[in-house]
Amino acid sequence: MKGTMRRWKLLLPLAVIAAIAATMAAGSLAAPANEVRIAIMTDCKGAFGFGYEPDIGGAQAALAKYAGGKAKNAKKPSAGMTGIKVAGKDVRIVGYGCGDDTAATALKETRRLMEQLRADVMIGPLSGDEAVAVANYAKGKPTKTFIIGTAGSQDPTLQIAPKNVFRYHGDGAQWNAGIGEIAYKRLGWRNAAIMMDDYSFGWTSAAGIIADFCAIGGKITKRVFPPLNTTDYATYVQQLPSPDNVDGYFWVVGGTGTSASLKAFEQTYGRIDPKKHIGNLFFAFLGADKTVAPKVVGSYIGGFGTGPGLKTTQAKAYEASVAKVYPGLNGGNYADGFVYNYYNAAWAFVQGLTKAGGQLSKLQASLPRTLRSGYEVSDGGYVRLDRNRQAIQDQYPLQIVKSGDSIATSIVGYVPNVDQTFSGLFKKSSPPPGRSQPPCKKQKLSWQGKIKVVRNGVITNQVIK
Amino acid sequence: MILGMTTKQTVERAIGMGALVLVAIGPALFDDYWLGFILTQTFLIGIAAASLIFLSAYGGMVSLAQVALYGIAGFTLGNMVTTEGKGLHLGWDPWLGVVLAIAITTFIGFVLGAVASRSAGIYFLMITLTYAVIANYFFGQVTVVSGFSGISGIDLRAPGFVGADEESPVRLYYVALVVAVLVYLLIRFVLRTPFGLSLQGVRDEPVRMASLGYTVPMHRTLAFTFAAFIASLAGVLYVWWNGQIDPATIGLQGTIDLLIVAVIGGLGRIEGAWLGAFVFIVINNYVRDSWLTRFLDDVGIGGSFNTIIGVIFLVIVIVSPDGLMGAWGRFTGVFRRRGGGTEPPSEAAVEGIGRT
Repeated sequence: MKGTMRRWKLLLPLAVIAAIAATMAAGSLAAPANEVRIAIMTDCKGAFGFGYEPDIGGAQAALAKYAGGKAKNAKKPSAGMTGIKVAGKDVRIVGYGCGDDTAATALKETRRLMEQLRADVMIGPLSGDEAVAVANYAKGKPTKTFIIGTAGSQDPTLQIAPKNVFRYHGDGAQWNAGIGEIAYKRLGWRNAAIMMDDYSFGWTSAAGIIADFCAIGGKITKRVFPPLNTTDYATYVQQLPSPDNVDGYFWVVGGTGTSASLKAFEQTYGRIDPKKHIGNLFFAFLGADKTVAPKVVGSYIGGFGTGPGLKTTQAKAYEASVAKVYPGLNGGNYADGFVYNYYNAAWAFVQGLTKAGGQLSKLQASLPRTLRSGYEVSDGGYVRLDRNRQAIQDQYPLQIVKSGDSIATSIVGYVPNVDQTFSGLFKKSSPPPGRSQPPCKKQKLSWQGKIKVVRNGVITNQVIK
Repeated sequence: MILGMTTKQTVERAIGMGALVLVAIGPALFDDYWLGFILTQTFLIGIAAASLIFLSAYGGMVSLAQVALYGIAGFTLGNMVTTEGKGLHLGWDPWLGVVLAIAITTFIGFVLGAVASRSAGIYFLMITLTYAVIANYFFGQVTVVSGFSGISGIDLRAPGFVGADEESPVRLYYVALVVAVLVYLLIRFVLRTPFGLSLQGVRDEPVRMASLGYTVPMHRTLAFTFAAFIASLAGVLYVWWNGQIDPATIGLQGTIDLLIVAVIGGLGRIEGAWLGAFVFIVINNYVRDSWLTRFLDDVGIGGSFNTIIGVIFLVIVIVSPDGLMGAWGRFTGVFRRRGGGTEPPSEAAVEGIGRT
């Protein structure tokens, strides 16, 4: 018996090694020459892990509509998609990347997708730091093409800006265009404080608010930057000026920190007055609609580059095309940047490959410089790419409202053609957004004074005063 | 046939030389992914694991600070050599950066080792875990030197003969291979010196060694410093290879991963470091896209490749608690017994003082 046990103990490691070898062999089968290999990189762990299915679903919905893909499972996009064909070539999704919101994992996963699984094109990643790492990686892989999924950091397409990286949506700063002007004009704010997560997306998102608010004449009197994943915000709230000394507060705190920071504010200064607090997308998107938004009904917030409830034919067509393939994806909220931005990235890929006649060598030159995306209104409804291959995109500041028994967002303004440079404020040579970047500076923005009022999802001719 | 110790050593040396020849002609045998990702990573993670195994096997100290130490080297190098982006981006000469990164990490290793040197067992483990957490938070929250986003583009500032990994994976592959071999030989050499021998004495009988006049805390401190030096080499190679380092790299997950590498390889022998690294990296990379993962996913019971990877590691540890090197020891032991040999000496005796 003892001998049998010993033999078993010897054989088992060998069996494990044999299984690994078999797995490796199966995983490294040669790719047919007549196929294009793509990968979708998103997060399945960490703060944005819930974006996994919505991201994949968004991308695959576009592949279904424009390239004949068939979803294997309408309720689970990550089950895969078959039958994708573009310009006579089979397109195969070779893998899905599983990030965790850190650059380290994103890079590891990107290498797995691009080198081990030999993808030619990657759609992704999901978040800011991940995109910075991927853009740096892309520099060394000029023949591979990267279309950013839904990441909001500025660097990938401004400071780093490799020629093989494309982004068909705004960055975190662009998403907040217009919100500063609304605070200044509608709420009468002149002096404000800002609390921002101390990392690239927090800085970029805050940069948009600061630039917009200061451009029209507002002053940021205090910037407070709690570290990411802080749980107790009491000491950071103490650093903010009291409500008597400031007209209002901007919040750029994400994840579980949004609720926690607002709670710390409440404990220090009492009940939150929605007219004195403005948030970025973290007030109402990425799950915050259930946890944060109910506390700040009436607050204005920055957008996500999407127009929830926008009543245009183009917007309805986009939403219908997602619903057709993956009904109920992301809880039926197709106007979420997770779904929308991945959808547009995949659609751009299909257009580019079609124009390139299926030839990967021509893909980067053929990727569209304009895209007729769902929530775009300016320029005949086309998003345009700038010379760094970064979208110039319409933005929609929102307000949190009560809709029956539930909480929803309502578009309050239409900000046309927001570019990444904020009319020249951000440059390749300027430092990327940070704790003290950008400085508070009055300047002319191309959309200043042109933000149109949106009522019940309809853009009016009236400008915000 | 009787496999005595001498024969076993001969077989091991033959296997070792065979493996060395195999990796030396690696570029002719493996594709770019295997060279640039699997094997280069194996060499550098193996070096970090070797520093952990050195402390454990010969100093009796299981350290959770090795990832933090290689992170310190990586962050230091990144701050010194990069010219833009996050961190200090001082833009110094790459070689100066390498020397300073190694020197600073080794010095920090000396200080941390001195603080931890009077602790043993679980207390030593906890102190080194504290070091790991401090390093993680320091680089995550002090945005002047890194911040949560970390430092990118370090590979672009590697010395000329290394080059950026994407452009010249073969060069970095050979650099990592040579460093790994040198580290292995250096550890073997150190173990044969009077310091190495007395360190093993400190490991087995600290009280007796103290009564003989040896300064036990100083021996432990120096061992920790030496391990920090080795870890710093891994850190430098890591940032040349990855191009980027951020606090998540040296977080709790990274710390545990390195411990798993060492445990899979076997905490008793230095060779286990590279064996463990290889198995860990291969499993992590290939199970993800295996038919098994897909099958379990399709039938709705897997869902997570992490679970499968965890089960594989669990099986390895249950079957062979002293890792794959331990399994090898038992394998050769079976041959010895079949041949009528006597019961083999204990693993500690074989791998410890007996080897030096």
